[in-house]
Amino acid sequence: MNQRILGYADRLSAAPGDSVAFKVSAPHTGKFDARLVRLICGDDSPQGPGFKADQITSAIDGSYPARRQEILAGSYVWVTARQPFELANFTLQAMIWPTLPGNGQAQSILGNFDAAQETGYALFLDAEGCLAFRAGANAPVSTGVKLLPRHWYEIFAIFDAGTGRVTVGHNAMLAYHGQQSAVAVTEMLPEPVGEGGRFLIAAWNDAKRATAHFNGKIDAPRVSSRALQPSQVARLRQLPLDLELAQFVVAAWDFSRGVSTVKVTDVSGNRHHGRTINLPTRAMTGWNWDASEFHWQKKTQHYGAIHFHDDDLYDCGWRTDFTLTVPDNMKSGVYCAHVTQQAPDGSTIEDYIPFFVRPPRGTATAPLALLIPTASYLAYANQQMVSSWWFDELSSCKFATLSEVDRYLEENEGFGMSVYDEHNDGSGVCYSSHLRPILNMRPKTDLWQFNADTHLTDWLEKKGIPYDVITDDDLHEEGVECLRPYRCVMTGTHPEYYSKTMLDALQTFTQGGGRLMYMGANGFYWRIAYHAGLPGVIEHRRAEDGMRAWFSEAGEYYMSFTGELSGLWVRNGRPPNTLVGNAFAAQGFINSVPYHRTPESRDPRVAFMFEGLEKDEVIGDFGTVGGGAAGWEIDRADLRLGTPPHALMVATATDFPDSYHWVNEEMNHTHSAVNGDTCPRVRCDMMFFETPNGGAVFSTGSISYAGSLAHDGYDNNVSRLTENVVKRFIDPASF
Amino acid sequence: MIKIDAEGAQGAALAREFKAAPFGPYSADLQKLLQLLRWGHVRGRTVIVCTKPYVEWRLGRMGPKRGMPVEVSESEIFLDFGEANWACFRARWQEVTDKPCPVD
Repeated sequence: MNQRILGYADRLSAAPGDSVAFKVSAPHTGKFDARLVRLICGDDSPQGPGFKADQITSAIDGSYPARRQEILAGSYVWVTARQPFELANFTLQAMIWPTLPGNGQAQSILGNFDAAQETGYALFLDAEGCLAFRAGANAPVSTGVKLLPRHWYEIFAIFDAGTGRVTVGHNAMLAYHGQQSAVAVTEMLPEPVGEGGRFLIAAWNDAKRATAHFNGKIDAPRVSSRALQPSQVARLRQLPLDLELAQFVVAAWDFSRGVSTVKVTDVSGNRHHGRTINLPTRAMTGWNWDASEFHWQKKTQHYGAIHFHDDDLYDCGWRTDFTLTVPDNMKSGVYCAHVTQQAPDGSTIEDYIPFFVRPPRGTATAPLALLIPTASYLAYANQQMVSSWWFDELSSCKFATLSEVDRYLEENEGFGMSVYDEHNDGSGVCYSSHLRPILNMRPKTDLWQFNADTHLTDWLEKKGIPYDVITDDDLHEEGVECLRPYRCVMTGTHPEYYSKTMLDALQTFTQGGGRLMYMGANGFYWRIAYHAGLPGVIEHRRAEDGMRAWFSEAGEYYMSFTGELSGLWVRNGRPPNTLVGNAFAAQGFINSVPYHRTPESRDPRVAFMFEGLEKDEVIGDFGTVGGGAAGWEIDRADLRLGTPPHALMVATATDFPDSYHWVNEEMNHTHSAVNGDTCPRVRCDMMFFETPNGGAVFSTGSISYAGSLAHDGYDNNVSRLTENVVKRFIDPASF
Repeated sequence: MIKIDAEGAQGAALAREFKAAPFGPYSADLQKLLQLLRWGHVRGRTVIVCTKPYVEWRLGRMGPKRGMPVEVSESEIFLDFGEANWACFRARWQEVTDKPCPVD
């Protein structure tokens, strides 16, 4: 983390009385400074409203001792019991599905080897991708046969202390003509093995650290206290254990147990349990998965694998540098701890660590709540699409352009990735947490998610419209109770990722008379899960359909945190149209276009919305996000997909160029008319409809929309229309 | 599948079209050409690197894997994003066709 001050907060949402702990890594010796700011607008682009933040005097103001704090990425299992593995004779075995064999690094599978001391032992893949065994200071023993990526193998090391001989071998589960399926080599180990360190799975020790991370799946790891015959190894793959050999088994981990937890269970009866570190992916198909069942909870014995990655990261675990207890009188809003440090060359480096202050739980200080889409922020956290997506330029219709953040993340590994990315081994990232610095959840970054949403706070502040801030984290935790104090809830520009609890809450709110302003597009699209016990982390699977960054493997569509089917909400029977009247239709990132009013906009039901606008006024032919109010990602109404029959399409935008691509979940079959210039479904529909009990929904259907609000000194028809809607939506009079 | 007319008049005309309007709208033939220049992972190929937000761009190249320095060209600095795109276009032309772009 060269020359950049970085930090994170232990929570994203806090109410008065809550404590927020800030963790900072500062690159230079000495001190760093911290102060509190209330963020109004993070858009510092030349054509935008400008960066705006109010300094707030607080208890965190001051200087703090600077220190570098490290990130130790890479997942593994730590088996907390150590002593019983100091065995004279032993057999190590597992089923593995390597994904990066031969990546130039040692990748440990299981053992207690400590590279710092050269003691203990480990079964591992060597730098060339061959199964190998090393013990003490002895030279590694390798089969010399490179394993194939994404193939299942049974692997073993059999050590006989009496003879000093070790036999290392693998059996391929899929035979190919001309390739040797069973491989084994035997060699002498003249030097003593030594005590070793912690017993780890998918990594080995380097003093107190875990290194040599394995990439791929491991299933059915076993340790036996005798030198088995190679022919006996296969008899221990299955559970329950072979009756004759079970007496020799010291540890047999069943990864299909505790899938939703970090616990790893030893079923040998010897209680050599462990825990996962850095959230390797669970609920993964095992070596014996045969497509007879696709849900891990329904055939657990087929889901005995964990997929480990050398770039997994859950919690950086940094030490706290300062803590803010949110004062009782702190106004709800978007806040940042602004940390700065003087560099030796006299320049100042800075970071803004965001968090969101809500009013006391169960109360409101305004009739309007801005619902900050923190789940979607996590979904995009530290995204590296430019390197993950082979189709990035074809999707964006642009040559790849690395921003400062893109370049930093490319050059500095270890910050964890987003659910848009692939791990180093090409498998999709399923988990994303906020317990790490998130470089793209910051002001002064690209106008996407967090920073784009500050166009909304900027506009609300400029218009003097009182508002509270609440977050997805709160919505998931409390359900509709979180929304009940408000007459109107305003979303962010791209509330894309929703848990069932969150979606149910919004649906209940609107059905119960609440008003919802959907200020973006491609919302309520993907189904996610929060973890019941681990804070600050979401899970997602790229299941059967949708605009997918990567594909979940067959049999891996159900989330490990909850057992719910992931993927699109529309494929879960909950199309966004039912909530907000429209749903994701297309995306393109070259330019945005204006809306045009429809005859339905003349309906008296929406007269309030168009006060001050001309009958045929073009809406939003300006803006900082693509030059128009309709664009980037856009939504379309469709009765067949659940748009309420009484919904009014009050405006629509259709002038999209060929850089806009229609969503593939609506495409039965690939064909040639899928772009803005030829596909009539590439359309952006602005919607309004009333809901039962006096509520209503307004949908912009466009991510670009908020980027038009500040145009011409906030005096423009997008701003006017939005203000009309807010005023009516916070009015207690029923619709 | 079409081939880029790397040395002919048609290819040169499309290159001139891109130079004149790097952000489009593009003719159908230029769109096809761009798809050929943009197909596949960008790692190891010429990309644009923003070296001062909103102000300055250069050409660059990502390393063979994450965690390695991005190679940033010192030879040319672009103060206009469109010019950076044109330079990237020319570099990709060379990378994909193994011929220099016929338009300067």
